[in-house]
Amino acid sequence: MAMTCFGDLRRVDDREPLDRPLSAAYRPGVAYDEMYDREAGVRAHYAALQSRISTLGAGELADRQKTLEQSFLLQGITFTVYGAETSTEQIIPTDLFPRIIPAAEWAKIEAGLGQRLQALNLFLADIYGDQIILKDGVVPRDLVLGAPAYRREMQGLYVPHKAYANVCGSDLIRNEAGEFVVLEDNLRVPSGVSYMLANRDAAKRTFPGTYRSSGVRSIERYPDMLLATLKSLAAEWRPNPQVVVLTPGVYNSAYYEHAYLARLMGAPLVEGRDLVVHDNLVYMRTTVGLKRVDVIYRRVDDDYIDHLTFRRDSALGAAGLFNAYRAGNVVIANAPGAGVADDKAVYAYVPEIIRYYLDQEPILSNVETYLCREPKQLGYVLDNLDKLVVKAVGASGGYGMLVGPHASAQERSDFAQQLKADPSNYIAQPTIQLSTAPCLVDGAIEPRHVDLRPFILCGDKIVVTPGALTRVALKRGSLVVNSSQGGGSKDTWVLTGENETPPAGDLPA
Amino acid sequence: MMLARVADSLYWMGRYIERAEHVSRLSDVMLTASLDATGDAPRAARTALGAPEDIDEGKTAVDVALSLILDRDDPGSVIVSVARARENARQVRDQITSETWERLNLLFLRITSPDAKRQFDQRAVTFLHEVISDLHLFKGAVDSTMSHGEGWRFLMLGIYLERAQLIARLLDASFGEAAQGSPLSDHLSQMGLLRMACALEPYLRVYTADIQPRLIQEFLLFNEDFPRSIRFSTARIEEHLRALAGHGNVQASGTPERLAGRLSSRLRFADLEETASSGAGGLLATVSQDCGRIHEAIYGAFVAYPVEQHLPT
Repeated sequence: MAMTCFGDLRRVDDREPLDRPLSAAYRPGVAYDEMYDREAGVRAHYAALQSRISTLGAGELADRQKTLEQSFLLQGITFTVYGAETSTEQIIPTDLFPRIIPAAEWAKIEAGLGQRLQALNLFLADIYGDQIILKDGVVPRDLVLGAPAYRREMQGLYVPHKAYANVCGSDLIRNEAGEFVVLEDNLRVPSGVSYMLANRDAAKRTFPGTYRSSGVRSIERYPDMLLATLKSLAAEWRPNPQVVVLTPGVYNSAYYEHAYLARLMGAPLVEGRDLVVHDNLVYMRTTVGLKRVDVIYRRVDDDYIDHLTFRRDSALGAAGLFNAYRAGNVVIANAPGAGVADDKAVYAYVPEIIRYYLDQEPILSNVETYLCREPKQLGYVLDNLDKLVVKAVGASGGYGMLVGPHASAQERSDFAQQLKADPSNYIAQPTIQLSTAPCLVDGAIEPRHVDLRPFILCGDKIVVTPGALTRVALKRGSLVVNSSQGGGSKDTWVLTGENETPPAGDLPA
Repeated sequence: MMLARVADSLYWMGRYIERAEHVSRLSDVMLTASLDATGDAPRAARTALGAPEDIDEGKTAVDVALSLILDRDDPGSVIVSVARARENARQVRDQITSETWERLNLLFLRITSPDAKRQFDQRAVTFLHEVISDLHLFKGAVDSTMSHGEGWRFLMLGIYLERAQLIARLLDASFGEAAQGSPLSDHLSQMGLLRMACALEPYLRVYTADIQPRLIQEFLLFNEDFPRSIRFSTARIEEHLRALAGHGNVQASGTPERLAGRLSSRLRFADLEETASSGAGGLLATVSQDCGRIHEAIYGAFVAYPVEQHLPT
């Protein structure tokens, strides 16, 4: 098309369909790409989205992205980032292109996650019960009982349905071979589920037609499934149990999520100061006096829920809460001490734990893990620091870790000193090229590394939500997806499989 | 039944919203009035806001309005009120509807945006009109999307208690003791006063363009139907407290309800002739004091009650 001199050149450029840039400029690296196969062909389950995107100009995509961000800001879907002196409220960066998972792949993930959580809850019941697995020597005793998240106070307590971890948000990644593996089990207070739901709302508005025709499984029932899970934990003689969400308060970085879940469950959002414990019963202060509380979905770490039992300097919990729990008068979900099963060192033993309790082979694999507490493995880790990711056992959120290939020689040698000083505090894993998915970055579609955080509920039964939060490492080449480290997110479509077109190879030429 | 802390937040959200609207309107009228060389309206506005000395320091109306709207260090400024209302809303995000939240959040984002000062500098009056209409939209969302139950009543209590006190202070600054012997006398200033109470057009409907201090006071104190009259506000306070008592422990909440009933009756059955002849000063002081007492009684009954009273024995 010839351009006239009246035209605004930029605008004309903007409107050019992105078909060419998509196939020409989008260069997946060595990692598995969610959208393109090795021959740069579009994977069948991405075909509908790809053809929709190719009809939209860069300007239209940017508009949609902007609308999306505006709606997040307006809804107050924000994250507090703590700096040296100031803290600011920011929207969690969100990308408009959904990440799509075909039905067959999801079936395996679903089965694997259910199996894993079942085994981990059996493990927790055993650890806080007779400790048979330790007596059998399957997992080293000191590794479990010395783990920072192990809670002696939980020993021998009754836990409804033996479900210690009621809400679990596992981190999965797809390796270079295209296989989903578990990177981490989060059994303490995993967050992100509100972003999963908000991303879905947004995606429905951004790509309505594609969404409808793709046959995407619905995740909207998460809040009521969560409520049902929590209610299933209440004592059966309490016919109409009062469920509350316990938040550290408005200054917590995940406060939006706490309020969101409380609102969608219709449960009061309480802070520690709203709770009163008297005679081992827990009450909340209401406008008409005290009201008994039966189940607390707590979004406060173990250490802070009761300063009489745990950290003395905490004001976030309620004094006497743990005694009420011990007496069986209130349920705390997730159970205190559940974190011992997602300890980064215990993680290495999870495949063994699955075999031990369920007599099954793990459906989802672990990432190969070196325990620095073992002198031989420490030696290997020190020799290969430039190839490994080293993580502190007690830390989370992407803090206290070394990504060997991306670190400078100086950083590596500093980290080696820390490692030698306290080897049992560290584990190491090979640097895995997480899979990439297309993201809109500065007006162009580029591959970015992503992980997958599905959410699993466990009360009287285990439910895997058919969706997930896909976290995105927004910096080019970065492998760190945590929101505290510059990560973003995108919607995740799990397909029903009914509308899927057969793989391209099966079609007549 | 709702958390005491939540009731507290909803109540304060209402108060801050009403305060923000009132201060925005005062600033708006003050700016417009200052275009005319004469008139005491700017002074009355400043007095009503509790800081008459700014005018004496030679600040222009625009300076004063700017600090009333956008000064984060002035605890009475609109930006501070809106930020506090939003902070309260954030703490009870699970209790208010998304429509309500988004209205308030939108206003917050508008007024705290880096661009706000430039917008104010360019078109101050337009800016203020937008702020006021955003606040009206917020109240509309509250009315049409929130359940008119306990939480809503606490919010409305905050709005009407704040309103009764603000109107009482405005009248006092115009005609009472705070006017320091120079009550508003000229026609333009009196029109300005009616505008500050958002009352000009409703007043004209009742009394025609015959504007007199006695009638203004009568209207703002005793009119039954005008939503910013003190009588109207106190009647709503009484109504909400009576309904809240029905939600809960009648004995405990008896005190605020009784205080509100007494104040509301006083305005309903006041002798207009007597008030006109002796001046409204005494009545305005009573309104102010009683609103303070009702506030404390609400705290005692619903929010900060001693836990011991309610423990099972």
